[in-house]
Amino acid sequence: MSAPSTVRRAATSLLLACVCAAALSACGTKQDAVSAPGTKPFTVMLDWFPNADHASLYTAIAHGYFNTVGLDVHPIVPTESAEPLKLLAAGKVDMAISYEPQLLLARDEGLKLVSIGALVQRPLTSIIALPSAHVRKVSDLAGKRVGTAGIAYQEAELHTALQAAGVSPGSVTESDVGFNLVPSMLSGKVAATLGGYWNYEAIQLQQMHKNPVVIPIDHAGVPSYNELVLVVRSEEARTDGVDLRAFMQALTRGEQQVRAHPAAAASLIAKANPSVQEKLQLASIEATLPATLPSDRTKPYGWQEPAAWAAFGRWMFTQRLIHSDPDSAGLPPFTNEFLAGQGI
Amino acid sequence: MTPEDPAPHARATRPPTPPTAPPKASPRHVVARILQYLPAVLLATALLGVWEAYVDLGSVSPIVLPAPHEVAGEAWRNSGLLASNLELTAQEVGLGVLLALIFGFVLGVLIHLSPLLRRAVYPLAVGSQAVPVALIGVLLVFWWGFGVLPKLFVIVLICFFPVVVTTVDGLASVDPDQLKLLRTLGASRWQALRFGELPAAVPAALSGARIALAVGVIGAYIAETSTATSGPYAGLGHQINADINALQTPRAYAAAAVLFVFAIACFYTLALAERLLAPWAHQPRGEIR
Repeated sequence: MSAPSTVRRAATSLLLACVCAAALSACGTKQDAVSAPGTKPFTVMLDWFPNADHASLYTAIAHGYFNTVGLDVHPIVPTESAEPLKLLAAGKVDMAISYEPQLLLARDEGLKLVSIGALVQRPLTSIIALPSAHVRKVSDLAGKRVGTAGIAYQEAELHTALQAAGVSPGSVTESDVGFNLVPSMLSGKVAATLGGYWNYEAIQLQQMHKNPVVIPIDHAGVPSYNELVLVVRSEEARTDGVDLRAFMQALTRGEQQVRAHPAAAASLIAKANPSVQEKLQLASIEATLPATLPSDRTKPYGWQEPAAWAAFGRWMFTQRLIHSDPDSAGLPPFTNEFLAGQGI
Repeated sequence: MTPEDPAPHARATRPPTPPTAPPKASPRHVVARILQYLPAVLLATALLGVWEAYVDLGSVSPIVLPAPHEVAGEAWRNSGLLASNLELTAQEVGLGVLLALIFGFVLGVLIHLSPLLRRAVYPLAVGSQAVPVALIGVLLVFWWGFGVLPKLFVIVLICFFPVVVTTVDGLASVDPDQLKLLRTLGASRWQALRFGELPAAVPAALSGARIALAVGVIGAYIAETSTATSGPYAGLGHQINADINALQTPRAYAAAAVLFVFAIACFYTLALAERLLAPWAHQPRGEIR
């Protein structure tokens, strides 16, 4: 055998060995859910990258509250906000964190899903503007350009807010800026945005000393709704009541822990999502605390107000976002029966 | 000649093999090698300089465009995070591109051998390049869960096409006289493929492999950002999107810079591997060095 061919064979073997090693190690990175003994695996798909809104969930996981009630909870990060309900309906996850409007849309499309608790009581979605845009109130948007995330119900929220302020929606130019809400304001491409949260983007801008003007959409004429809800399949809500009640019980303990030690919760979020700044998470958790408990203090954590759900469902129906009024069509889109002190 | 003894065909038809022994590393060679890279270094430095000046002299916010020195600082401060994520992304790229090469090459050969298959498969292969991955991300996760499999599928989908096209073209570009000679010598269809068409197709297929590897890096970004995942470390693509969302733009740029360098490293590593594995494919014909 000639020398070059020996070299070639050796090189081939080496390359194959490297590739096989890479292949094997890649297989090893598959993150399969391995549960603690005696607990049941339970996957929860988040609405977005781990952030302050998930403080109670990550705190309950870290403190073993879910393990205590027999659940081994694994959070999954989605790639876009409509994905969690799709994968939930497909049976790929046990629970999804989503938005009340998104749930009503999914149910309108025939998905058999139901909300079993509110993570955040009121809308976080806000109209946000920088001082340089001279937008102090909604009516100042007339003749200006507003960036949105391209979500139909948020555009309807903008129209309702404009109409409530006596501005014709036609006089405002809307631009879909995807998730570049803040950069598009900073670069001056849009005067304001709708889609950013008062507990997140607004605080980010505040921490950058930009003094943003923030108008939560429920202060601008849009009926209030639960921004983040915990959604399960209707079937499981009927059959797995024990697990769901246990989940809510552990999550409630997580929420109490967050309230007592917000900084510890912020550090857990930063560990789960290395991209976020702990300082922002802490500020965000503290800002969100008043919105995590129902305004009626006799009601438990997670409470969903039937009258508010009915009013918001009707608003979505009148905006032609959904085909029928959820209040008059079939079973309600939410249930409080798994919350502390509720149920049969 | 018996079918059991095909070696003489190989010797008769394989193009001449140039000597592969590397030149001795004399000081003059070392200087010459360094000078070879000078144009790339100068161009990169100039581009970085323009970028730095644009950010420093203009009024663009670092959230919209961070200056190169900020990006470098972020890369330095987050080297651990970037390394953990690069490890995952590199594994996805390595395995995904390997699968794409195998799949693309085999498909290319089959298309070459069967006109029926060519008519049936080629349009679909072209169309597959227009499928928006975001559309099928949920389906892939539904089939294969939250691990590495959906990501590999996306990378293969993005990378196999250049390999198919270059393999098919390479197989068709064989010297017809060579095939005639093989037939005269009584070669079977398989032997004609093995000793005539395949060696001639290798240079083209390797070009396809280089394109696939460079595209594979952006393929990994698309894969990571279009399929759901669990755990805090999920690759550089996932990190870039999480950083953009958290307004950590300088760190997102740092992660993108790592991908940029990784793609270059992959490309030249493959070029080096080619020289060792298929030296006859390296006739001086405007090759990229």
